[in-house]
Amino acid sequence: MASETQPHGGAAHDGSAHDGGAHEHGHFGPEMWVIPESAGLTSDIAEKQRSSSTLFTVVLYAGALLTVLGVIGFVLRLLDGFSDHRVWGFYVAAFAFVFTLTSSAPLAACAFRFTKSHWRRPLSRISELFALVSVVNILLFIPALIALPDILNPLGASNEALDIRRTIWFRVPGGSPEWWQFAGMVGLAVNSLGILWLAAMPDMAQSRSQMTGFRASLYRTLSGRWYGTKRQWQIQKAGLAILGAFYFMLLVFMQFLVVSDFAMSLIPGWKDSILPPFYTVISFQGGLAIILLMAYAMRRWGGYREIIGVAPFWAASKVLLGLTLLHTYHLFAFFITYWYGRLEVEQNILNYLMFDSYLGIFWAQLFFTFFIPFPILVSNHARRLGWGAPLAGIFIIIGLMLFHIRIFAAAFASSDSESLYYFFMLKPIPAATFPDLWDIFIILGAVGIVMLVFRLGMMLLPPISVWEMKEGAMYQRVDTLIRGRYLVLGKPE
Amino acid sequence: MAKQAILGLFQDAESAANAGDALKSAGIADTEYDFLTDSPYPEGAFGEREEKHNLYLYPFIGALLGLTSGILITAMTQVAYPLETGGKPILSLPPMAIVCYEGTMLGAILFTVIGIVFESRLPKMKMGLYDNRITQGLIGLLVNAEQEKGPEVMQILNGAGAVDVKSEDD
Repeated sequence: MASETQPHGGAAHDGSAHDGGAHEHGHFGPEMWVIPESAGLTSDIAEKQRSSSTLFTVVLYAGALLTVLGVIGFVLRLLDGFSDHRVWGFYVAAFAFVFTLTSSAPLAACAFRFTKSHWRRPLSRISELFALVSVVNILLFIPALIALPDILNPLGASNEALDIRRTIWFRVPGGSPEWWQFAGMVGLAVNSLGILWLAAMPDMAQSRSQMTGFRASLYRTLSGRWYGTKRQWQIQKAGLAILGAFYFMLLVFMQFLVVSDFAMSLIPGWKDSILPPFYTVISFQGGLAIILLMAYAMRRWGGYREIIGVAPFWAASKVLLGLTLLHTYHLFAFFITYWYGRLEVEQNILNYLMFDSYLGIFWAQLFFTFFIPFPILVSNHARRLGWGAPLAGIFIIIGLMLFHIRIFAAAFASSDSESLYYFFMLKPIPAATFPDLWDIFIILGAVGIVMLVFRLGMMLLPPISVWEMKEGAMYQRVDTLIRGRYLVLGKPE
Repeated sequence: MAKQAILGLFQDAESAANAGDALKSAGIADTEYDFLTDSPYPEGAFGEREEKHNLYLYPFIGALLGLTSGILITAMTQVAYPLETGGKPILSLPPMAIVCYEGTMLGAILFTVIGIVFESRLPKMKMGLYDNRITQGLIGLLVNAEQEKGPEVMQILNGAGAVDVKSEDD
């Protein structure tokens, strides 16, 4: 059996080869390799990091412009004050959208590292870079907390209203639950930044001699005295595993808090055990979608074609397909439970969120999160060529934005006076709320700030996990079995 | 006895592993040398010693402290402000569990990060002997042996096929 260490030929680099040359290049397909050769990878990535493609320049400036619009929208919204909670619905929807999409992204790196998937290697750092957005999430969270109606009913209990809003919190003075929610968000940021720091440390240590100026001093500071000793690698591996596990545990908890406090508890009578896991599923779905979108943009237009192969998209698209199906299942489960329940309050909530006030947005969301991406993700052709999952990802992200408007903006708009948040049931069914110009600015700003922070992160830190790529290159061979040539991937543990 | 750091650089992992074996045969304890690599190699790939660390202890301590703080904060607050809600007891476990869980997680995360810094010996004040060619794929074998054994160690490293050998004195 003859074997080679490098699974791809030169044709794969320029992207001109396709599956037709399987016999010449191997039965794994010329572009289906997982990891390129490791020699010179550190300097190659460092060089790419210093340069900027047209796409990245556009992302940087577009992100900055949209962020400025968002800040303008936010400042003008601030002029309205916080006394009328309803006007903050779209702001909270924008915050929750950014939180949903970006908070789950770092988890993808941890989860696929747990499962020892080789194809995850080019995606790891891309997903970890979203940890930087966690700082933005903290900043966006502060006005959202202030905009949240108080637990105590300012008008007191009555025949129709409760003394306190239905929440998971007990009422105590001294900043509960705001401080606990805030502490959780800070904890999430510390955890995800810890994952990013630990995962990027070997790469920063390896690049510190090749970088100049600010990046060189940043790398020297953040990588400490990393030499790559056996002990350091072991601690890094164990640390990533522990922090990854904690991140999952805290992330799910925070998602539960956000969706229950900022959506469910504001719509009178909405008691739903399906919503928190549903919210977690859509967060995982959105997180993976945005990672694949960024990875595809880097591969197609960012100069990373020879580093990010097709395999990550091919493999991750199956995971995305599973999450898309789970999303739809949870949506149906929510609907059918309330539909069978037939209590007046349940019918009113269904009518408000699905079949009356937000009917158009509900169907648009369903199309964007299921009916359009599902056939794309099912298509083998689209999956194998790599563009299927990122394209589906675009639709999913649009659909999730609609979801957040339908749930969060609707929750804040469910009361046409202060006291209705504290009512026993949603009655009468409120009309749908529409964004004004400042809301549109805020939503655009939320998209822009993610683009901006991610792009700055790519400039600041190595956007590819070089050590993981080198490790993967060590475990892959192309070998011959009878008459076919195949990619063989080792798993040492 | 003063120690001297000597770094041998090897083109491939096999030569580096051979050099490790040779050092062991020459009576150099396996605690006195380390393999420096640009990516993690599987356990025992160089025939090196098994490393033990206490990182798993840190999150447990952090979690315990966080849980204790959570219990104390919720219990003391509810006792200090005894507001009966929905006929539930003043010290009611379900709402306390939320704060306790969060406290546990925050404590565990914080202590894990602290543990990583200490256990991987990152806060060393002085940069040790290193060569940037390790980042390009060469394997480093760093020996911290007694000064009098320096020439012998250099000879072993060179004999095992090191492409370069340097010491702290260079």
